Amino acid sequence: MSLSLRVLCIVGAAATFLIVTNSIRRSRMRMDDAIFWVAMSLGLVIVAVFPNIATILSRLLGFQAPSNFVFLAVIAILLIKLFTLSTEVSALKSRVNELAQEEALLSSDVEELHRDDDGNRQSNHV
Amino acid sequence: MRILAIIPAYNEEACIEQTVRSLVETCPDVDYLVVNDGSTDGTGRILDEQTLAHVDLPINTGLASGFQTGMKYAHRHGYDAAVQFDADGQHLPEYIPTMARALEERDADVTIASRVLAGERLGGARGIGSRLISSLIHLTGGVRLTDPTSGMRMYSARMIRLFAEGYDLTPEPDTIALIARKGGIIVEVPAHMQERQGGQSYLDLSHVIRYMARTCVSILLFQWFR
Repeated sequence: MSLSLRVLCIVGAAATFLIVTNSIRRSRMRMDDAIFWVAMSLGLVIVAVFPNIATILSRLLGFQAPSNFVFLAVIAILLIKLFTLSTEVSALKSRVNELAQEEALLSSDVEELHRDDDGNRQSNHV
Repeated sequence: MRILAIIPAYNEEACIEQTVRSLVETCPDVDYLVVNDGSTDGTGRILDEQTLAHVDLPINTGLASGFQTGMKYAHRHGYDAAVQFDADGQHLPEYIPTMARALEERDADVTIASRVLAGERLGGARGIGSRLISSLIHLTGGVRLTDPTSGMRMYSARMIRLFAEGYDLTPEPDTIALIARKGGIIVEVPAHMQERQGGQSYLDLSHVIRYMARTCVSILLFQWFR
């Protein structure tokens, strides 16, 4: 791994860390979701500080260069994250729709009850 | 037989009142429910002022979810059949009794109002798409349908429950294919339709491509995992 790539890893990790902590401070991200990004930046720092990890793993798996291994690993992790997010968005859509449906049905029930109630009160007066 | 006509409506102020009036006039025995799917135009106001039976979704959730709202209502109020009825006036209410009779006599799960059986020809791109979907349904479900994209369909109590409780079921041909493959009985009755009576259609190119892609992939691939 070249020195410039190692420096870039650390800069990227630091930037990620700052953005994530800032998002938490401004209540734009929940801590559950922030942990992934903190772990990601920590991983980048570890690889940058101990490049031997990448070198050994890339040799073991038959990569031409440690940097190739780092790129592939990052892409794979991000793809997994993207897929998880996609299923989460799907689940959120279903839940929002279900809430909206139940709200609509419930408020029509309530309206009907009010109407019945008004009707009863009027007939009592007569 | 208690029938509920489910009328999903998203920004249909131009024709919703007329559609409901002609439905009530033609089929006084059929109950109806307009599902106002978070319309941003005057649809909600018209429904309130004219005291038409309706529920209001607080946000726009899409046709499938709007229709599911109607199916939940039908399920909770114990209806024997529910018919999917367009708000824009394309569907003619006089065919509802015919559809109900076919559903009952042939003990079917779904009745589709077929323009083709009534002698209409689906021309152009619409015809090609319809024939493609038709052959996919025949391939996977073993049923021959003449008009799978017809939006006027009647469902039995069993199907009402399926739609009310199911996950991601669209009131579209891919669900018909799924029902057919699972052994449901699907029949068609001849029915004419009108041009839409107001409002705007969503038949632009990107919608058509998305619709066809979704329908074809759903029938060919996804349904085997459901």
